[in-house]
Amino acid sequence: MRSADRERVRVEVVHRVVDGYVRQAREASDGFLQRLVNDTLYQERRRLDQANPRSKRTKAELALYQDVARRLHSAAETTVRALLEQLATRFVDEVIGNFDDRVYRLSTTLIPPGLSLLVNAMSPRRLLDLRRINRGLVEQLKVQGEVEQVRRLAQHGTVVVVPTHSSNLDSIVMGYVGYLIGLPPMLYGAGINLFSNPMVSFFMHNLGAYKVDRKKTAKLYRSVLKEYTTCALELGYHQLFFPGGTRSRSGAIEQQLKKGLLGTVIRAYTNNLIAGREPARIYLAPCTISYKLVLEAEALIRSHLQETGKASYIVEDDEFSHPRRVLNFLFNLTSLDDEIAVTWSPPLDVFGNRVDADGNSLDPRGRIVDPRSYVTRDGVPYVDEQRDVEYTNELAEAVCGAYLRDNVVMSTHVVARAVFALLRRRNPTHDLYRLLQTGGDAPSFAMAEVHGEVERLLGELGRQDVPRPRLSPLLLAGDVQEIVADALRHFAIYHTRPAAERRGDRLFHEHRNLLCYYGNRLEGYGLAAE
Amino acid sequence: MHSRETVGVVGAGSWGTTLAKIVAENGHEVVLWARRPELAAQLNAQRHNPQYLPQIALPAGVHATAEVQRVCEACRLLLVAVPSHGFRAVAREMAPFLDGEHVIVHTTKGLEEQTHKRMSEVLREETPVRKIGVLAGPNLAPELARGQPAGTLIASRFGDVFRRAQAALSTSYFRVFSGQDVIGAEIGGMFKNIVAVAAGIVDGLGLGDNTKAFLMTRGLNEMARLGVSMGANVLTFGGMAGIGDLVATCASPHSRNHQVGVRLGRGESLAEILGQTRMVAEGIRATRAVRAFAAQQRLQLPIVHALHRVLYEQTPLDEAMRELVAAQSGDEFMGLML
Repeated sequence: MRSADRERVRVEVVHRVVDGYVRQAREASDGFLQRLVNDTLYQERRRLDQANPRSKRTKAELALYQDVARRLHSAAETTVRALLEQLATRFVDEVIGNFDDRVYRLSTTLIPPGLSLLVNAMSPRRLLDLRRINRGLVEQLKVQGEVEQVRRLAQHGTVVVVPTHSSNLDSIVMGYVGYLIGLPPMLYGAGINLFSNPMVSFFMHNLGAYKVDRKKTAKLYRSVLKEYTTCALELGYHQLFFPGGTRSRSGAIEQQLKKGLLGTVIRAYTNNLIAGREPARIYLAPCTISYKLVLEAEALIRSHLQETGKASYIVEDDEFSHPRRVLNFLFNLTSLDDEIAVTWSPPLDVFGNRVDADGNSLDPRGRIVDPRSYVTRDGVPYVDEQRDVEYTNELAEAVCGAYLRDNVVMSTHVVARAVFALLRRRNPTHDLYRLLQTGGDAPSFAMAEVHGEVERLLGELGRQDVPRPRLSPLLLAGDVQEIVADALRHFAIYHTRPAAERRGDRLFHEHRNLLCYYGNRLEGYGLAAE
Repeated sequence: MHSRETVGVVGAGSWGTTLAKIVAENGHEVVLWARRPELAAQLNAQRHNPQYLPQIALPAGVHATAEVQRVCEACRLLLVAVPSHGFRAVAREMAPFLDGEHVIVHTTKGLEEQTHKRMSEVLREETPVRKIGVLAGPNLAPELARGQPAGTLIASRFGDVFRRAQAALSTSYFRVFSGQDVIGAEIGGMFKNIVAVAAGIVDGLGLGDNTKAFLMTRGLNEMARLGVSMGANVLTFGGMAGIGDLVATCASPHSRNHQVGVRLGRGESLAEILGQTRMVAEGIRATRAVRAFAAQQRLQLPIVHALHRVLYEQTPLDEAMRELVAAQSGDEFMGLML
């Protein structure tokens, strides 16, 4: 963020957040602001209980909160407001405080060396192979879809890139893809855990990352984040959000999005109209990132299975925290083909309407419609939170629909799904967890059986009459034997144990969690019961 | 700020005309769209609807037109009251003159026959409008046109839709409730027509109140199961758009669907009956659409099934009735347990 904007945003965010709460306080019962400050202190102290007590940062934070708590006691209303401001300022400083203007300005030119640097930092001894990795990544990345339109829209207005999220590598991949296709730099909120490795942290800054601490659960912090995003959008900063919130634990394409973050695009758009800023255009560019192998697959599915239904679970110690695993993963990528597909879906306006090449919003039948009309009455724009919640739901639906259509299915997904289907069929009385643990009655299946099941799945995926994902080139070619062989080759090269392994003419299901994980990429298409 | 606005009513049948009358009596200007220019001219000249509501005088605030562009451009709030089979075509005609400011509340009771889509889905597919609502409830047009007290439901995901439609429609005798369950309101309004035809048959056959209550209760159950399978809230079916509409339609001699059922019960054929009426009995079409949808979704809806056999498969009434009764037993709320 440009330094002129930075100070402006800092003040504006605090002002808007505090004003918003003061307005709410007028409608609510007595002591609303006091409770809010108290709740913030409580959540923060609870978080700090888990933090390293000897770190300077923890000490400073504890001291601040102690001071606020002391002053809150029997404080007058104006003091409570001042305390709220103090806390909000602290949060906003943490979020935006890490930008380095010089780095941000240079970000486009820095990205490719940045990538080398990342890898370099992880294993200096393998420096000689860097060129191979860098070249490899370009070759392994298949960027397709509405690239040209997204690039054009970035010239007409503000673009918010909203990809699917399955790996911490996603932000790096997207930063790199943005560079490759000539998109201007994007801001994005990266989890604070990504900053723990100093080199990765450097790289994150290059991409325009601001810090998001998912462990901060205080409502005030969430409001600050939302308002920061809104302000940055109003100022025309292109952004990258992962609207699913966290990496998909199950391996499935996101069908539930975090509406709070997504809703900021509608608010920013309306604010711009109200302020008379023209053109107020904001566009969403949904895209899917499909990996044949996912770096953190094992940790993600483990946490999914342990914590099914609890989205707040944060994976701390995953493959991404181990530089050697990341490096190993990147090296392995370079030896294989067609590994990562980034597919740009048709861009949308903030209400989920498609837009044409010039950025005009289109109605469902392709007629141009004035997007302002969605937030105006008699031509005058106004904010209506309930209305915007519904618009956000509809936008989320449009984005999720795009994900399902542009998800690229690869050999690993189909083969994992097929083997898992065979497992289920063979053990109809086992529930999922028992099946995952024990593997059921048969440790292996005849290759012919596996080939048959893959063929059946491909048939299902090829249906034209229902919404279907895209298929990778290998899947489109349709050689079942080659598809299975390709998946097995991949399963063998990176994970601690292969998901499945061929011995003679039988296929052994070795790591069923992984089979479940990769197979889940085909969820959401209503594939016929197995 | 929104208390007085020019309201468009699309469709000048008996219900559209009644709505126009209520809104105009409420002090709003109304632009009433009739497909046929002759009817629009008649409405303006004679101040009543000679075909559908001959005895009811139109208030001065109602202006009829046959130009869809005029109604869409003059009004931001549109009440759409056209039959389900013509709904998509009308939506298409309106679409070029609509934008995101428009609010549409439809009152159409039916599913689109080929696609099994609800009318709100058709509106989403054909128009840029997002603020969509549905009006459903025990609202027999002739009674309302005479100013007899009644209630209705306006369901929409957008609070604004309800507020504006309520300001237009709510009178001392017509009470408007709000809800968010668009699917439930649409399914309730549509399904009750099917049950009304069946209830009419029971009346026509000369069967008693026990049988009719049995049929209506099980009809409500089928309505709720169908609705829940599509994502509706089961509570909606206990309200205006569910049991409310069902009771009125099954009991009333004003109900076209009920009338068709009575004549079927007395032995007339469907072709004979349809040949003699100008009005649309939505339940006849709805039976076919719901039957096809239920088969696709593997839903057991015995009343729909039996009525379909009578209407479209030439099954004798007594045989269909026997089958229907035989199919009814077991856990009363199966498929609906919360």
